Amino acid sequence: MGAKEDDGIHENILPPIEQEISDELNAKAKKYLRGEGADLKALQDKKLKGQLAVREEIYGKSAKAAAKIEKWLLPSEGGYLEAEGIEKTWRIRQESIAREVDILSSRNQYDIVVPELGPYTLDFTLSGRFMAAAGRKGHLAVVDMKNMNLVKEIQVRETVRDVVFLHNEHFFATAQKKYPYIYNREGTELHCLKEHGAVLRLQFLRNHFLLASINKFGQLHYQDVTMGEMVGNFRTGFGRTDVMQVNPYNGVVALGHSGGTVTMWKPTTSAPLVKMLCHPGPVSALAFHPNGHLMATSGKEKKIKIWDLRKFEVLQSIPGNAKCLDFSQKGLLAVGNGSFVQILGDLSGSENYSRYMGHPMAKGYQIGKVQFRPYEDVLGIGHSTGWSSILIPGSGEPNFDSWVANPFETTKQRREKEVRSLLDKLPPETIMLNPSKIGSVRPARKKEKPTKQEREADMEAAIEDVKGIAMKKKTKGRNKSSKLTKKKQERVAKTKRPFLEQQLKEDQAAGKKRQKLNEQVELPSSLQRFARKKTTT
Amino acid sequence: MAGKMRKAADFTPVMYGKKRKAADSTKDRSKSNKKPNKRNKILCGGGGSDDKRKRKTGPRLPAPLRKVLGGTKRSTDSLNDSDENISSDEANDFYEYEEPLPQEESGKNRRFDVVKNYLLDPSDPVEEDENVSSEDDDNKDDYDGVSKIEKSHGWRESSEQLIDEFEDDERHLRMLQTVSGMPSEAFEGKKKKKKNLVISEAYPESEFNPSRDVLNGNGQISIEELLEPLQGKPGYTEIRKLIREDKNSTSIQAPLPRVEREMLERKAVYEQSKKDITKWEPLVKMNREAPSLFFDEDTNLGFSTVGAIASGFEPRTEFEKKMALLVNDDKVKEAHNEDGSKLLELNKISAEEYLEDRNHIAKMRSLLFRHEMKSKRIKKIKSKTYHRLLKKDRLKSVSAEMLMDPEAAKEEARKQEFKRAEERMTLKHKNSSKWAKRILQRGLEAQDEGTRAAINEQLHQHALLTRKMNTMKDSSSSSGSDDSDEDDVDENSAGSDPDEASKLFAKAKEKTLKVLQEDDEVPTSGVLSLPFMVRGLKKRKEEAVEEAKLALQEYESSLKELQDTGGEENANVGITSGRRVFGAAKRDVPKPKPSNKMKTDNYYRNSDSEDDLDENIDVGNGMKNDLQKDVNVDSGFLNEDAEVRRDSVFKSFDDVVRDPGPKTSYDVAIFASGTWKKMKKGKRVNANIKKSTVVGKPVLQNQEELSEESDTDSEGQMVDEILSAGPKPLYELPSQEELVRLAFAGDDVEEDFGKVKQEILNEEIPEPEKPNLLPGWGQWTSVQRKKGLPSWMLEEHEIAKRKREEALKKRKDAHLKHVIISEKMDKKAEKLHTKTLPYPFTSKEVFEQSIRVPVGPEFNPSTSIGAMNQPDVVKKSGIIIKPIKFEEVNAHEKTEEHREQKRSGNNQKTNKRKGAGGKRAGVRPVVVKS
Repeated sequence: MGAKEDDGIHENILPPIEQEISDELNAKAKKYLRGEGADLKALQDKKLKGQLAVREEIYGKSAKAAAKIEKWLLPSEGGYLEAEGIEKTWRIRQESIAREVDILSSRNQYDIVVPELGPYTLDFTLSGRFMAAAGRKGHLAVVDMKNMNLVKEIQVRETVRDVVFLHNEHFFATAQKKYPYIYNREGTELHCLKEHGAVLRLQFLRNHFLLASINKFGQLHYQDVTMGEMVGNFRTGFGRTDVMQVNPYNGVVALGHSGGTVTMWKPTTSAPLVKMLCHPGPVSALAFHPNGHLMATSGKEKKIKIWDLRKFEVLQSIPGNAKCLDFSQKGLLAVGNGSFVQILGDLSGSENYSRYMGHPMAKGYQIGKVQFRPYEDVLGIGHSTGWSSILIPGSGEPNFDSWVANPFETTKQRREKEVRSLLDKLPPETIMLNPSKIGSVRPARKKEKPTKQEREADMEAAIEDVKGIAMKKKTKGRNKSSKLTKKKQERVAKTKRPFLEQQLKEDQAAGKKRQKLNEQVELPSSLQRFARKKTTT
Repeated sequence: MAGKMRKAADFTPVMYGKKRKAADSTKDRSKSNKKPNKRNKILCGGGGSDDKRKRKTGPRLPAPLRKVLGGTKRSTDSLNDSDENISSDEANDFYEYEEPLPQEESGKNRRFDVVKNYLLDPSDPVEEDENVSSEDDDNKDDYDGVSKIEKSHGWRESSEQLIDEFEDDERHLRMLQTVSGMPSEAFEGKKKKKKNLVISEAYPESEFNPSRDVLNGNGQISIEELLEPLQGKPGYTEIRKLIREDKNSTSIQAPLPRVEREMLERKAVYEQSKKDITKWEPLVKMNREAPSLFFDEDTNLGFSTVGAIASGFEPRTEFEKKMALLVNDDKVKEAHNEDGSKLLELNKISAEEYLEDRNHIAKMRSLLFRHEMKSKRIKKIKSKTYHRLLKKDRLKSVSAEMLMDPEAAKEEARKQEFKRAEERMTLKHKNSSKWAKRILQRGLEAQDEGTRAAINEQLHQHALLTRKMNTMKDSSSSSGSDDSDEDDVDENSAGSDPDEASKLFAKAKEKTLKVLQEDDEVPTSGVLSLPFMVRGLKKRKEEAVEEAKLALQEYESSLKELQDTGGEENANVGITSGRRVFGAAKRDVPKPKPSNKMKTDNYYRNSDSEDDLDENIDVGNGMKNDLQKDVNVDSGFLNEDAEVRRDSVFKSFDDVVRDPGPKTSYDVAIFASGTWKKMKKGKRVNANIKKSTVVGKPVLQNQEELSEESDTDSEGQMVDEILSAGPKPLYELPSQEELVRLAFAGDDVEEDFGKVKQEILNEEIPEPEKPNLLPGWGQWTSVQRKKGLPSWMLEEHEIAKRKREEALKKRKDAHLKHVIISEKMDKKAEKLHTKTLPYPFTSKEVFEQSIRVPVGPEFNPSTSIGAMNQPDVVKKSGIIIKPIKFEEVNAHEKTEEHREQKRSGNNQKTNKRKGAGGKRAGVRPVVVKS
């Protein structure tokens, strides 16, 4: 038994065997190649073939270079709990872990007890440096997790249902009794988003700068927090729900409904992208794997299901209740239920989740929210009497990319990153189920011709318009009523003409087609010369 | 021959009668006519003979009869036949008089060219052959013989001989027929050969046309023979030498025709050039295949600064040269080089000049300053009277001028008259413009101050223009009226000011008094002096006076009132802390009621809107409404309203002025407020009910949710404590429907979902309509009744159904029972896809795979970004791309190079070095780059 936490480089300095190294490199490079290249042999165009071959070669080299650099850029490897003999990892208690780990890590095990201000909900910034905690009874706190410093604490004296950080720790949004609000780090109320109504759950789409909310009436709102524009406002039509999670891979928002369905939404279409029946009973919680391919749902019928989102199929169905679910960066799944947290792990790498760890809270604590802290092996738990933090070895990503999220960010870096991320902001229409399809050829669309009635209506409208135009007053006998009527008729005919012509053309085309079909059917070639006779008689 | 022919014709009248006609008809033709015919014949050649053959399908004797008829006749008629054929072209000529054969044909006269006959002759036997049908090689011999005979014995004999020969032939043919039992046609084929028979000798033998045989044994004239007479002449030996040499050399073939020769030449040149060009191939290919091309990277372009460019400047034009001369003047240059002081010397000006200049400038400045000051002062003067005077002055000066100059006056008068006429004609300023019409249509009340003023101004303009007067003389009075008009406008626009109003009243009074006091001067002359006019004037005058009196009274009373209300208003102001509302309202005290109503109306509106804005303030609402009612009753106490209303009051001020229909809106307002109040109350009740129902909720909840629910209720309490001290808040209970749904959530979810899916599918891919039967549609009704729907309808339906099923099968969620994937296109996201495949790509897959790897710096190590994003052509700006130069490149090296380039990519230095080495400097072509 032992907690193995690797932070250093564990590369054995062995006499290098070329083959092995290259194999390893190739395996690593595959990741950077992002799939196979096209089959060039099938290509007819020699020039294109040549160009593509050159490009593929460049890609291959780039991937190899990236694989080579990887060992410098990703120095740490994630560790995990390893059981020896008949030990089980889920029997290992937090106390025993605390004994093994270094002091810094052991400081991440704590309980904050705030019994009066009700169940807490938590949110971490992308870098995991800051945490926002919101008590149901109006307690809002922003905590610096590095030094356990309370940055700001305010009491809004109103129900707070959810809290979420915006693009950095300086802004956070809370779902309060009537409306969601946006505060800055100093606790100053910046905005009151009245259009959202009484919001139950908030989510922030970092790449798109959208604040998504679901309110009491089952209305889903998307608001652009940069310009304040309301991007989308949809009635889900599935009733009240507070199960909402954004897919970090593609920005699609998933809602769990009382009918057991999960719907996925994007801000530019009013109908859900996907509607899937996940459970026979109400959906109680929902979580997405960071790679976007896995989704975990839990239903009130005591089942946790893990879905493959590429095929929309159940991978695994695990018995158990869950009030809240969360995936860690490394793919561990935390399940909170009552006063017990269970961690499921996909240790074999075959997408088969099994028990990894467990943690019972003090009796009577009702867990409301579990969330893994990014880039740390820490799980934050919000419960009815405060919040707790426990160590889950192997949950966090050991290497951070300072371009993505930097836990040790300086002020200047933060500012620069803010500007950069604003410049890189994605428009809301880029949210789609498979974002890698962006830039590809547009899928063929059904050609929708206007129906005959529509066309006729158009024509009528055009004619009416023409009739409405007042005639110019003319002189020298050109203003006679006969001339005027003639002119009017001419106008009408002129407007009618294009419509009629188009119709005629279509009719003709249709006729030709039919004729062709008939001819094709008709006769063998030897008898073709008699065909004409036949048609005449 | 002709005589013979005629004889033959006599023998066979039946057979040839018809043809004779035609034949004879030709004979009346003059020679000149004949000739072209014959020529025609010659030209026709084979085609002509074909014609003949066709013609011969006409009535003719059967073969046995012909046999009986015998040889000579046969031959003659064949000849005759030929004759007929010659003239057959003009067969429609029916002149039947006979003419002897033309002389040239008969061959009697040597003057005629005989060629035609000879050319005709060979074709004639061919005609005969058709009938005779069998001719063999000996025929040819015969012909040779014929020609020989002809040559030797003349025309007539030869023809006789020919006939004999033909008789022989005939016999031979008959023999063949009897032997073989085949028709004569079978032997016809051979005659065709003879068609090509060419007689090389163009001219008949004669003393003018000596044949070779006649002249010489072998028919050749040697050069020696020709040279003989030259022997002993001066250049003889040379010529002979030349000829000898010639003899020794082999004969030279005639040069090829130009076309062929040139073709060959071109071919050769092409081969050569091809060889020449192929040497470029590897180089060009390499350049084409290279991912990027580099051009002369090492050339030093120098600085392209302004200075650098200017240094290369050379003066060209006259002006430039002059400038250059000045600039490059030695003295100036020297001065520049040495010190600035010398430059000053060059710039010397005399003291007087300087002083003069300065004085002038000073003077101008002071003048300017004074002018400026004056205009400023004038501009500052606010007095209207001053400006009026100024204007008057101006006008006066103008009029004075006019007085001085009668021409000008006349002109002015004419102008004025013209304008008046124009105005009366067009009514341009009488609200006839589109703009004015529109404004009037909307109502003047609805307009703002500015437009109303503009309209008034227009009317005034109209009045001015159409007034009949002698402009110059009455200019002062007109200006006076102008002023009064202005005043009127003022009254209209700024009538709200009380002081102004009193002033105006005073003025009006004054004016009316004036009018009253004015005694009328009865005109003594003109139309107006007529008695009835005088009477009419008097009457009018009286009326006017009466009116004026009335007006005066009115003015007085109103003035009084105004003063009174002014006092009141002041008091009001004291109370309301300086609100302007009442001033405006009290201005029309004579009719206070409507104004009050208006105000209240506005109050209502404003307060309503306020309520909408912040619903939170429900405490005061009831009171407010009450107060509003009070307002209805008594507008005087409005001031004591709550503070909230202050701005609304301000608003109302503006509205008072504008609102045209106070009464109705007032009613509506009351009504609206009543309902609103009611609504509000209802809401409250509802809320109370809701809150009260919530109490029960936690009981129903699970153990798990207990905490949350309890929270909600406590939250409610808390919030209520914070917000209001009203009745204790009550709990919210989920609706019955929701409870039911929660309780029975597990029931039939799948089935429901299936139904929903079906619905959505139907919506997205609608089901084809069922063919509905219209009696008599597509078929007779009786048939329909028997057979049901017409087959084509059913077929169509089937096809539509099948299509739909296929579409359903193609859907991504076709096999997933529990999933609905929307296939709706997002129109906004369409722009993120390409409409068509980009050019070189032909398949979607290849394209999509080619863009799968990002090429940005965020996704790739810095060592490979350069290669990924290298431009096609690397070239410094300013470098001139030289045409491609040849250089040896072998295929292997090419690939190497290629590789290297790819590898180096961003490593451009190596490339540069290579360029510097001169190996590939500037040889990359652009032309061939595709």
